[in-house]
This record gives sequence, structure tokens and C-alpha cells, in this order.
Amino acid sequence: MSGGRRRIHVACMIIIVLLYVISVPWYRDVDQPLQVWLGLPDWVAVALLCYVGVAIVNGVAWSVAEVSDESDDSGEPR
Amino acid sequence: MNFGIWGVVSLLVYLAALLGVAEVANRAKRDSSPSDHFLAGRSLGTFVLFLTLYATAYSGNSLLGYPGRAYRDGYSFIMATGFMMAIIVAFHVIVPRLRPLAVRHAFVTPGDYVRLRFEGPWARPLRLAIGILMSLALANFLLAQLKAMGEVASVVTDGRIPYPLGVVGLAGIILFYETRGGMRAVAWTDAAQGIVMLVGLSALLAWLLGEAGGLSEITHAVAERRPEAVRVPSATVSINWFSTIALMGLASVLYPQAIQRIFAAKSGRALKRSFAGMTFMPLATTLVVTLIGVAAIARFDIQGAVATDEVVPLLLHEWGSAGGYSTAAALLVFLGALSAIMSTADSCLLSLGSLLSRDVLGRESRDEAATRLGKRLAAAILVATIPFALYRDLTLWRLIELKMELLIQCVPAFLIALHWSRLRAGPVLAGIVVGTVFSAGLTLGGVTRIEGLHVGVVGCALNAIVAVGGTLLSGSADQQSAGRSQAPAELHLKHEIDKYS
Repeated sequence: MSGGRRRIHVACMIIIVLLYVISVPWYRDVDQPLQVWLGLPDWVAVALLCYVGVAIVNGVAWSVAEVSDESDDSGEPR
Repeated sequence: MNFGIWGVVSLLVYLAALLGVAEVANRAKRDSSPSDHFLAGRSLGTFVLFLTLYATAYSGNSLLGYPGRAYRDGYSFIMATGFMMAIIVAFHVIVPRLRPLAVRHAFVTPGDYVRLRFEGPWARPLRLAIGILMSLALANFLLAQLKAMGEVASVVTDGRIPYPLGVVGLAGIILFYETRGGMRAVAWTDAAQGIVMLVGLSALLAWLLGEAGGLSEITHAVAERRPEAVRVPSATVSINWFSTIALMGLASVLYPQAIQRIFAAKSGRALKRSFAGMTFMPLATTLVVTLIGVAAIARFDIQGAVATDEVVPLLLHEWGSAGGYSTAAALLVFLGALSAIMSTADSCLLSLGSLLSRDVLGRESRDEAATRLGKRLAAAILVATIPFALYRDLTLWRLIELKMELLIQCVPAFLIALHWSRLRAGPVLAGIVVGTVFSAGLTLGGVTRIEGLHVGVVGCALNAIVAVGGTLLSGSADQQSAGRSQAPAELHLKHEIDKYS
């Protein structure tokens, strides 16, 4: 993978990890009253938006990833 | 004609179509080698590969188990959308390294990689241990699909097809078309099944939303009926959320049938495009089934964990009984659910046959006899699994967790070994034994979580420590012993692994 693509790939992975950390409502008060946002409890809407973000960023990561396809056997030992 | 009779008719039409596909796939065979039967001659292009990955990933567990779990837990099961996406993220760790090796060395099963990667006296026991773990996980997965097939067929046909007949009859159909058409039949039926499943689920959610008057109304109705279902999760649930993402993300990339699709792809480019598309599918599938399960809270009062697996069949029955358009749409969902289940079961069966013959029994030949042995073993396993499927007192979700706790113990042998060429067979095997004994021992003792963490995840951490620590220690010992050098094959693999880094 070229240097530029590799940097984009690494950046995508870091963003994905951050989105996962935000998606879990560990930082919220358990007793907070129900607040509906986008038709969902607000903590669920945040998690869902994070997962939409993960999907987009992961799509970018796969598009820059290099999956080599060397089918020629150059005679290395098995 | 009522819904149950329409259910029987549509089921028969669908099964006849499957048998037709099997016949066409059988005629498309190039030869009877394991590569052609188990990997479709490595010819899967982007479209079929994407749909077969999709239909295989979303199974009876997803269609019945996930709504059941969402019904029990409420909105916190939104975590499922996250962990299904984590699987496609985790494939970044394995695909770019494994694919070139698979092409170069014509891998058929995951064990072929283990055979190439590890050597020394512990290599064969390691391959056997991984083969056994994967086979157990697949047999468990197959069991879950058989149970789900029986449930769907029974409920939607109004009991005209009783649960045991659904299990046995549909298992027989799968065995027939898988044996006849191999991976081609499986992939082609998967492609059609994936489309039906996607359309059917979307229609069911649209109906539920329309009936309730929108998502906000569903949320308020759920809050009124069961307030804890909309409440912010506790710290323990949050830990379990992270743990489930790790468990499912890491273990699912080691599904043998998923690994074999990496081998079966026509090209690396097709593989890459398929995964890029797959990353969006949890939003179209897992999110939808989660919302279906949550919406059911406001409609039904189901007692008992096992009974909650019937949330989707109950909804379908209610929807279909309305007549007219509703009946047709509900039948479409019914076929979608059944096809999802069958597509996963056929993939499990195909992988099991190859895994048992090559990795467990060590029959590594590439001739027709090896293919025949794989087919016979798959049939034997299917027949042996059916009696367990007739025992209904176990939730589908629990079966998923049990399978993952076994599969995740293979992580060091693949995810670490692909990136660290020094990893040795002996410590990896020791790690697998420690992780499996720890996880299985606690699970059998009734302990499934430690402070919210799955015992399989904790077992995997111990497993990795033993594998890495053992390798480092044995490496130091090797350096001290004068005149010892790395074996040529090990040096060769180190070169190949470094090359794709």
C-alpha cells in the first residue's frame, strides 16, 4: 500500500475506534429522563449516528485498502 | 384460502426453485475437485460474492434471535448494529494478508493456512485443535439454523408443518442441493435469498411503523409498557456492549465459511468491493430487526426467554392474517427469513464437510475422493445435529454466544500469526488450550460474564498472553542454543508475511 493510502487507512481506523467509544453510553447518567430524538431515545440516536459514521468511514477504508492478488507461483517452497 | 395454506404453497414453490438451482449448479461444475466443489472453482465475482457474504452473515440468529434479544433487552440491543459492523472492520486485519497467500498456495480450508504458517512437532496438533474448535462452532451454528427453520416453518404455516417436520424436511433439502451443486449452488441461492431477505425485512418494518404511527410513537409506547427498555444502560451493560463488539467482531472473521469466501473470490478487487458494500448492510438488516424486536414490546406480552425467539413468526402471522396485500407481503418476509436461515445452514454444512475431511482427518488430496468424503461427513454431521435441534429449550442468542466463545480462541493463530512471523505453533496451541478450558469451564459452570465481560473474551486475552509470551520465551531460549537456525519454510513465510505488511 502506498504511503498516502496507508495514512488514510490508519486515519480511518482511528476514527472508527473513536466512534465505537462514543457509541456506547458509558458516559451518561443512568437516571436521566427519556428524551426522544429522531424518534429514538437520545442515547440510541447517538449510537446509531456513530454506526452510520463507522459504515461510511469503513467504506472509505476498504476503498483505499490493497488486496493483492498474486496468483503466479514463483517457486517458493510449500 | 387462509395464511397457513398460502404459507405451505409458497414454501413448496420456493423449495422447488432451490432444487432447480442445484441442478443448474451441478451442470456448471468443471470437475469434482475439492476446490471446485467447496470454493466454486474460485470464480465468485463482486455481485455474487457480496450477496453470498450477506446471506451467510445474516442468519436465523439475525432474523429470529436478534429480534428476540431486542424484545428482551429493549433499545440497548442497538449494540447489534455496532458489532455486525465491527466484523467488517476486523476483516481489515485478515483479508489483505491472507488473500495473497490463499491464491498462491490454493487454500481450500482455514487449516491449509495453519499448515503453511506453522511447522515443528506442534504444528499438526495445532491444526487439529483449530479444526476441532471450528467444527464445533460450525455444528453449533448449524444447530441454531435447524431450530430456526423449524420455528419459522411451524408458526407461519399455522402448524400445518410441525416443528420436527420443518427441521428434518428442510435439512434434507439443504443436504440435497449442497451435495449436488456445492459452493455454486450455495452462492447462487445465497444471492437470491439475500435479495428476498432485504426486501422482506424492509416491508415488515414499514408495516410496523405504519401501524404504530411512526418511530416516536413506538418509543413512547415501549416506554409506557416497559420503562427499562428505553432507559440509559447501566455500567455493567455498557461493559457488556464493548465486550460483545470485541467478541463478535474478532470471532466472526474466523467463521470458516467466511474465510472460505476470501479464498473463493475471483479477485482481490472483487473481495474489496464486496466488503465495502457489506459495511452498510448492518444498517439495512441488523438495525431493522432490532427495531422490529423493540416494536414488538408494545404489541405482545411474551413470557420466557425461549419464547421470545418467536417474535418475528408471531408478527408475520398477525400481519399475514389481515388478508390481501398483507398476506402477500408477510409471505415474502416469511420466505426471506427462511431463506436467510437456509443460506447460512448450507454454508455451514459445506464448510463442515471440507473442514472435517482436510483439517481434522488430514485428507489433503485434491481429488474426487476428498470431495466425496467431505460430502459424506457433512451428511453425517447434519443427521447427528437433528436430534439436538428437536430439543427446543435453549435460546438462539445463547447458541450464538457459545459458538463465539469457541471461535474467538482461534484469534492468535490467524490475526496475530498473519502479522507476527515469529509466532510459534507450541505456544499458540498452549494458548488455545488455556483459553478454551477457561471459557468452556466457566460456561459449563454457569458463569457467562465476568464484570460484564464475556468469559470467551477474557479467555482469548489469556490465550493471547500465553501464545505471545510463550513465543518470546522460546525465542530467547532458541537464541541461547548455539548453531540453531530458523527452518527454511519458516523464513519463507516470514518473507511472505512481511511482504504484504
